[in-house]
Amino acid sequence: MTGSARLRTAEAFGASAILLIRAGLWLWVLFNVAMVLWVMLNSVKTSRSIFADPVGMPDTWMWENFATAWSTSGLGAATLNSVILVTVSVALIMGLSIPAAYAVARLGGRSSGPVATFFAIGMSIPFQAFAVPMVLISVGLSRFMIDWVTGAWDPRITVALFYVVLSLPFSVFVLIGYFRSLPSELEEASALDGATPFRTFWQIMVPLAKPGITTVAVLNVLSLWNETVIVLMLVPNQRMQTLNVALLNFYSNMQYTSNWGGLFAGVVIVVLPMIAIYLWFGRRIVNGMTQGIGK
Amino acid sequence: MVADIGARPAARRGRVKAAGGALHGERRRLYLPLLLPALIAYLLFFVAPSIFGVVLSFAEWSGLGTEFSWVGIANYAELLSSRIFLSSFLNTVLLTLIVGVALFLIAVAAMVALRTARAGAFIRSAVFLPFMISPIAVGLAVSFLFNPKGMVNSVLGLAGLDALRQPWLGPELIFRVIMVGVVWSAAGFYVVLVMSAVDGIPPSLYEVARIEGASLIQQFRYVTLPLTRDMIAIAAALWAIAGIKTFEIIIAFVGTAGTPPLEARTLAVEQYLRVTGGRVGGMAQLGEAAAIGVVMTAITVALIVLSRRIQRRDRLEWS
Repeated sequence: MTGSARLRTAEAFGASAILLIRAGLWLWVLFNVAMVLWVMLNSVKTSRSIFADPVGMPDTWMWENFATAWSTSGLGAATLNSVILVTVSVALIMGLSIPAAYAVARLGGRSSGPVATFFAIGMSIPFQAFAVPMVLISVGLSRFMIDWVTGAWDPRITVALFYVVLSLPFSVFVLIGYFRSLPSELEEASALDGATPFRTFWQIMVPLAKPGITTVAVLNVLSLWNETVIVLMLVPNQRMQTLNVALLNFYSNMQYTSNWGGLFAGVVIVVLPMIAIYLWFGRRIVNGMTQGIGK
Repeated sequence: MVADIGARPAARRGRVKAAGGALHGERRRLYLPLLLPALIAYLLFFVAPSIFGVVLSFAEWSGLGTEFSWVGIANYAELLSSRIFLSSFLNTVLLTLIVGVALFLIAVAAMVALRTARAGAFIRSAVFLPFMISPIAVGLAVSFLFNPKGMVNSVLGLAGLDALRQPWLGPELIFRVIMVGVVWSAAGFYVVLVMSAVDGIPPSLYEVARIEGASLIQQFRYVTLPLTRDMIAIAAALWAIAGIKTFEIIIAFVGTAGTPPLEARTLAVEQYLRVTGGRVGGMAQLGEAAAIGVVMTAITVALIVLSRRIQRRDRLEWS
């Protein structure tokens, strides 16, 4: 084979490889869309037709799957638990991490580098290194509160506490990057106009950082909404558990209930809000997850 | 997450001083009040407990009110002689490596073909989607696809490929099915991650390569790959951190009522069973569970260090 012939063969090979990869990528896209549609369709089918006709349209539209999942199987209460836990936790996370990130990014001077690294280290520690102390703290905390302070305790408060501290490293770290990327001229101008440093922070810099703050908040909502392990370990009472754990319990009872349509309705309740957020914020989520981390 | 904080434009450094001395002092006074609440919460409820976890791995203790005793490396010795621990250790390493290789190949394929593809942005958003979805939901859906009467077997039956129908969730195949599920849910993230590095490469470089007659494969080999090495290193580290912790998707395959079969247990699952005493009853083994946490941290750190070796020695500069 001559040199140029070999080159041409290589080119033809390369071109067909690329066509093949593109076809593969489109198949993957198609599969994802099909999975979402399939789950949604199954959620309105009877359990019998889910098995008898796995890809067909529902013969009877079982909207009551959602009603039974919501009330009988306790997914309604679990949804409420999830919503409250996520809202409270994310509010606290942002309340702690925005000032801290601003301080590190703009006020810290020489110590800011090490402090930022110190927060960043938390991101690479696997949760499991933390799991056993977490369980012990949870037991100790509830016993302490019941015996000495309030006389009662709700394990969901402990869950919120750990949601907040475990989310701090990522949130602080990404927000530091964001505050550093803002121009400092406005800050200086506001200071020269006589605003106190706190006012400069609160009324100039926080509004300027709003896109970054929104992104971090949304990413925290996503990860906490999908969180499962902590609730599994800390909240034994089923009525206090969150949506993902309730879904697991639902699945575990399947051998008694055989309510497969209801299970898929549950999956839809877990998944749909996140898909909605994804459609709403789209690129911003993707960029926040990838570029914020990549930097 | 394994980002380099030093790699920031140096121009910002001198900024604070420029604002003047008095102002500087006033700003400094705000530093601690803003920083401390988060720092104290982080120290008190994250850093200190994590260190305490290491302490616990050398002790036998079941919480307040019970006796605390040092047992040295007994917890680790116990783990090393436990067949269950060893198999979950092996499973974790296998899962991280095999899925890691699969993710890498998919990311490379995407880097070759996606840059110039039509509707590239749409493809990226669509493949990213599963990463947003609760791993519990992903696990439930995938295990349902593969259950004995599920879609995969029905489709194989309809296609006349009855010979290929398998008990996918049986002990022999379940771990492979789980790995497929993990790849499906994670791959989009890594594709988008490496593509964000590809986007940062100046188009002029590809133009030059094209003019000189480089095929798309050669453009990948000589332009894309060298210039995205840092991002690939970051992606590898992120995968190491995430892969070691694989838990939810496995639990979703079996539900909370049972315990996952040995063939499908990872370290995270094994630790969970030891922390809770297992759903079938039994004593919690906190010392050993803490030791598992330490082992997992050690593997993670080792893999992060390894992935750093992929990184370029010299920093990239383009104007």
